[in-house]
Amino acid sequence: MTTTETIDLSTKLGRLSLANPILTASGTFGYAREMASIVDLTKLGGILPKTITRDPRPGNAPWRTVETSAGLLNAIGLDNDGVDYFLANHWPYLKSIGSPVIVSIAGKSQEDFVYLAQRMNEAEGLAALELNVSCPNVSGGVDFGTDPRSCFDVVSGVRNAISCPLLTKLTPNVTSIAAIAKAAADAGTDAVSCVNTVLGMAIDWRKRRALLGNKVGGLSGPAIKPVALRCVYQVASQVNIPIVGIGGIATVDDCMEFFIAGASAVQIGTANYYDPQVSTRLIDHLPDAIRSLGARSLQEIVGTLQ
Amino acid sequence: MPHYACNAQFQTCRIIENLQIADDTFRIRIESQAIARETLPGQFVMLRIHGCNDPLIGRAFALYDRYTEDHAQWQGIDLVYLVKGKFTQALSRLSEDDLVAMNGPLGNTFSVAPVDHLVMAVGGVGQTPMLAVGREALGSQKFGNEVDELIDGEQTLSRNGYAKKVTLLYGARTAGRLAGIQDFRNAGFDVRLATDDGSIGEPKPVTDLLLDLLEVAPATESIRIVCCGPEPMMAAVSAIAKEKNISCEVSLETPMACGIGICFSCVAKIRQTDGQWDYQRTCVEGPIFDSAKLVW
Repeated sequence: MTTTETIDLSTKLGRLSLANPILTASGTFGYAREMASIVDLTKLGGILPKTITRDPRPGNAPWRTVETSAGLLNAIGLDNDGVDYFLANHWPYLKSIGSPVIVSIAGKSQEDFVYLAQRMNEAEGLAALELNVSCPNVSGGVDFGTDPRSCFDVVSGVRNAISCPLLTKLTPNVTSIAAIAKAAADAGTDAVSCVNTVLGMAIDWRKRRALLGNKVGGLSGPAIKPVALRCVYQVASQVNIPIVGIGGIATVDDCMEFFIAGASAVQIGTANYYDPQVSTRLIDHLPDAIRSLGARSLQEIVGTLQ
Repeated sequence: MPHYACNAQFQTCRIIENLQIADDTFRIRIESQAIARETLPGQFVMLRIHGCNDPLIGRAFALYDRYTEDHAQWQGIDLVYLVKGKFTQALSRLSEDDLVAMNGPLGNTFSVAPVDHLVMAVGGVGQTPMLAVGREALGSQKFGNEVDELIDGEQTLSRNGYAKKVTLLYGARTAGRLAGIQDFRNAGFDVRLATDDGSIGEPKPVTDLLLDLLEVAPATESIRIVCCGPEPMMAAVSAIAKEKNISCEVSLETPMACGIGICFSCVAKIRQTDGQWDYQRTCVEGPIFDSAKLVW
C-alpha cells in the first residue's frame, strides 16, 4: 500500500544532519529536563536549550510575559546562570538525551560570542551552535542582527574560531531580513533561523503603565506566523542558505507552509507553553501531509512555492 | 529540587458544570479521574479552552475540591475562579460538555508537618486552595494515591491529618465576593470573615483578623500560617509571621505562561543561602514558598 510507504523526514542544515525537521526553539523548552516526563525527547529532530551568556544574568523584573491576541509578549531578559553553570549542571543531562542539541548563545560583543563558542566547542556531543544575534530584550544583542556588517563580523568571528555547525537566529525587526541573512551566509553560517520575536508592547491604560517589567518585549505565537512565513519566503528567494522556520508554528499545516516557503526545518516555540506535547505529535503527523502532496521525502517539498 | 511535571497528565476534559457561586466568581467542575486522583492540596492545573488560540496561553488554578457521583472513586475536580480578564471571561461562558485542555497536577505542596493549629489567611480569590488544604490537615480527606508519594525520588510524609484545628481568616472587598463559605464551614474550619466595606464581618483587613487570633492564642499551642491572596496582603501576613516568629507558607500567583518550568515568566525573588536573592520559577520551585525566603 502506498499509504504506508515510509516518508523520509531527514533534513540537512549545511553540515548538520537531522533525523527530522522538528526542533524545539530556544527559550521555550527550558533545559529539556523539565520536559523529560512530558515529551519523548529522543524523538525530536533537535533540542535548543535556553540561550546562555558568558556571565549569569538575573533576567528582567516581572511581569515577563503578557498575553495578547493569539500571541504572547515576553521580556524574560535572558535569565540564565552563565556558561560555567550551564556546562557543569545542564550539559551532562543534555548530552545524555541522544537527540542533537544545538546550544543557543548570546553576547554583548563579538568577543563574548567567540568566547562562548570556544567554551561550547569543548563540550563533548555538541551538534551545533545557534547564534542569538536577535534577542530583543538585551541591549547590544539586537544590533548584531539589524546591521549586515555587524552580523557578518560576529558570524565570521565565531566561524573562524570553532569548527561545529552554526545557525544564526535572525530578527524580523529589520527592513530587509534577506540582507542580514546574506551577510550571515557570506560569513559562513550553516543555516539561518527565521525569526526571533517581533518587538511589541502592551499597556494598562487605566494605570498608564506598560504591562511588561521591561516595558517592551518580543511577540510570539500564532499572531506572528504570517510575518515569519514572509521572512522565510524572502530569505529563501534571495539567499542560498538553509532556513529554519520559527514563528507561531503549532500545527502540521503551519509546518508544511514553512517547508513550502523554503524552510528545511522548523522550531516549535510558544506552542510548547500551551501544548507541551505538540512537537512529537507533529513528527507523527508530518508523513501524512507530505504523502498527500505525492512526495516521499521532506526534501522534495522544501521551497516548492509556485 | 524543582517539582518538574513528574506525574502530570495532559488531557482534554469535559466540563460537568460551570456555576456562578458569588459575585464574578464561578466554580467549574471538570471530569478527570487521573487528575483528581493525583492532585495534592496546594497544587495547580493549567487550564486552556480546547482548540482556542485566543485566549492562547493556559492559566493556573489551584485545586479547590474533588467530586464523586458513585462514591467509589474521585471523578474529577472543582476549580474556583474570579472573572477578571479575557481568559476567565471566556471560561465563564462555557457550559456542560464543552471541552478544556487541562495539565496537572503541577507544583509543590504545603508542609504537612504536625501542628496544633493551622491558620489559613486568605484574601481576594486566595481562598481557593484552602478547602483541600484544611480537609487534609484535619484528616477528613486523603489526597494523592493512598500510598506515600515519591516526588523527585524523595519520600514525602504520609499524607494523613496533621493539624488539630483549622481556622480560615478570609478577607474580601465586599460580602458578595466571599465564595465557598459554606464549604469551609462544612469542612469543620473555624471561619472568620472581614470585608473592606464591612458588608459582612468586620470592616478591617485580614491581617487584623490574624493579629486578633494570635493575641488570644494559648502560648502552648503550635501555630503555622498558610497564606494566599493579593501580594501586599501576603507581604503583610509574612511580616507578622516574622515578627511573631511563626512559620508561614505563602502560595504565589505570579503570571505563568507554561506552568511547567520552561518559560521563566513566573519568577519571584527568593532568598538564597548566601543571603542574596535569585529569581526562581514559581511553577516548579513553588507555588508555595516559606515566607521567610521571599523578598517582597
